[in-house]
Amino acid sequence: MTALTAPTRPAEGASLRPLPWRRMVWVSWRHHRIALGGVAVFLGALAVWLWIAGLQLHHAYVAAAACHPSNSAACQNLIINFQSTNVILKGGFVLQPVPALIGAFVGAPMLARELETGTFRYAWTQGFGRWRWTLAKLVLIGVAVAGVAGAFSVLFSWYYQPYLATGNGTVFSSPSPLSPGLFDLRGVAFAAWTLAAFAMGALAGMLVRRVVPAIVATLAAYAGLALLAGNVLRQHYLTPLVAKGSNLPGSAWVMSGWWTKGGKFAFGGRPPISLLQRLCPASFVTGPGGGIGIKGGAGAPTTCLVQHGYTQWSDYQPASHFWPFQWIEGGGLLALSVLLIAVTVWLVRRRVA
Amino acid sequence: MKGAEVTTLTIPARLEEDANPRPLPWRRMAWVTWRHHRIALGGVAVFLGALAVWLWRVGLQLHHAYAAAIDCHPAGSPACGELIFNFDATGGMLKGGFVLQPVPALIGAFVGPLVLAYELETGTFRYAWTQAFGRWRWTLAKLVMLGIAVTAIAGAFSVLVSWYYQPYLTPGRLYDPASPLHHWLFDLRGVAFAAWTLTAFTMGALAGMLIRRTVPAIVATLAGYTGLAVVVGVVLRANYQPASHFWRVQWIEGGGLLALSALLIAVTVWLVHRRAA
Repeated sequence: MTALTAPTRPAEGASLRPLPWRRMVWVSWRHHRIALGGVAVFLGALAVWLWIAGLQLHHAYVAAAACHPSNSAACQNLIINFQSTNVILKGGFVLQPVPALIGAFVGAPMLARELETGTFRYAWTQGFGRWRWTLAKLVLIGVAVAGVAGAFSVLFSWYYQPYLATGNGTVFSSPSPLSPGLFDLRGVAFAAWTLAAFAMGALAGMLVRRVVPAIVATLAAYAGLALLAGNVLRQHYLTPLVAKGSNLPGSAWVMSGWWTKGGKFAFGGRPPISLLQRLCPASFVTGPGGGIGIKGGAGAPTTCLVQHGYTQWSDYQPASHFWPFQWIEGGGLLALSVLLIAVTVWLVRRRVA
Repeated sequence: MKGAEVTTLTIPARLEEDANPRPLPWRRMAWVTWRHHRIALGGVAVFLGALAVWLWRVGLQLHHAYAAAIDCHPAGSPACGELIFNFDATGGMLKGGFVLQPVPALIGAFVGPLVLAYELETGTFRYAWTQAFGRWRWTLAKLVMLGIAVTAIAGAFSVLVSWYYQPYLTPGRLYDPASPLHHWLFDLRGVAFAAWTLTAFTMGALAGMLIRRTVPAIVATLAGYTGLAVVVGVVLRANYQPASHFWRVQWIEGGGLLALSALLIAVTVWLVHRRAA
């Protein structure tokens, strides 16, 4: 009976209706399906490449690891073959820009494009409300992008497995799982970096309000943060362990080394050659061309210094710190992403349309 | 415009004159190009300037370490070995040139699509292309001027890059020098770096005309550039050439890329000419 009593409508409108979050999923998909499709194509092409290259690498690894006895010439050839497979992917540096590219090309246009073309006037005046509109889109697309990246990084983990498998030490030297090129491609870090790049892009788009400059700003900011994390912050996530002597596990990420004598600091880094020449002249041999070689293997000078009362120390992060580091870095980046999205939404809310 | 005072009011005469177009104000197009793309060009300058400061600072260390190592006497002594090790440990990420490979792609992809895709996307092409200058001349003038500007900046930058990598390439008694034809070094030096930058720019311009949206055009340019660079580096540029072939291979690659760029610009201008406004 109240269908025609118009005056009751404003009273209802004062307390907002439950929000159609589900419809926002559809809107987000419609608006950003090209961007999401582009991410899928890009990662799909990378996945095909990694898969083909990874099969080669795994075959080469299996052949090298199964060879017996391991110091025979045939086995050494197989090890060299494994080491020279897919040199471009080795160390993981070529894959470092992937999160930055995804984040910059998906995140930056989220707001910048609406602001640049003027469609924000339409989008932000919908019943849903402009800040809810922004929040819903950023959360939905952010979750989608992080999910795709997380699934993709499983492939990275598989690809780099041969380099990191335990027991490699006897066959060849393996990199630390914490080393700068590899750490952030595996575990939760890759998805977290992608989400952070996306959130940086969204904020840059809101601040710069033009798509292309926002993409450039995102790439620059991401490069700065990634360099800062890899070169400065990461080694301090947990207190490094200190090892006495030279028998570090091969998978350790060594921060620094120093030597002591009689409980006092002697020198940092590598032993100075003048000292070695004075204390251990027997370790050196003069080659035919006048060059100096080391007699008795690369470890001989160290053994000689130890005999003279020197003690070697190193501080390092062991491979067992991999998962704690992953959770620290992933959690930090998640917190950063939440903060960046919150600032973006706050800016949208505050902005005079 | 000479004689404008006299003919100002004789409107019928103007139509006769318009039949064959007046000499073109190319110089004014330089000003228009600068006004439209000064932010992009400024961005390129800031980006390369920051890279140059980094290269300069690390390069000074590298050259000092190199000079100390090469002056050391007798060459085989442990002290000299220490200096060679020190030289080898300088450079960090810049070693091998890998980290500088994306620079031409980034410049080209972020400047090239702005010329046409941005105008088509925002609709300003309706204004720009109806100027008396004519739409295809407008496009040609902009592409040529911006192309020359970007190429010149990249060429100047690659002189610094050549200086930086000089110690690694000097044939000497210290260690085996890297081949100047190595994948990651060859296209950073000589004329190749500027030619690759020009190619990336023209790929961006054509992608912008075809796709008509800026961001997809940037992505397409990056993908196309990567494909071309991989094909040239891995397949076309014959490996294991002697170092003395450096300049010959440079001119072949530079010439090929210049021809490709001219072709891409021609196709872009033709598409603009043909397109129904």
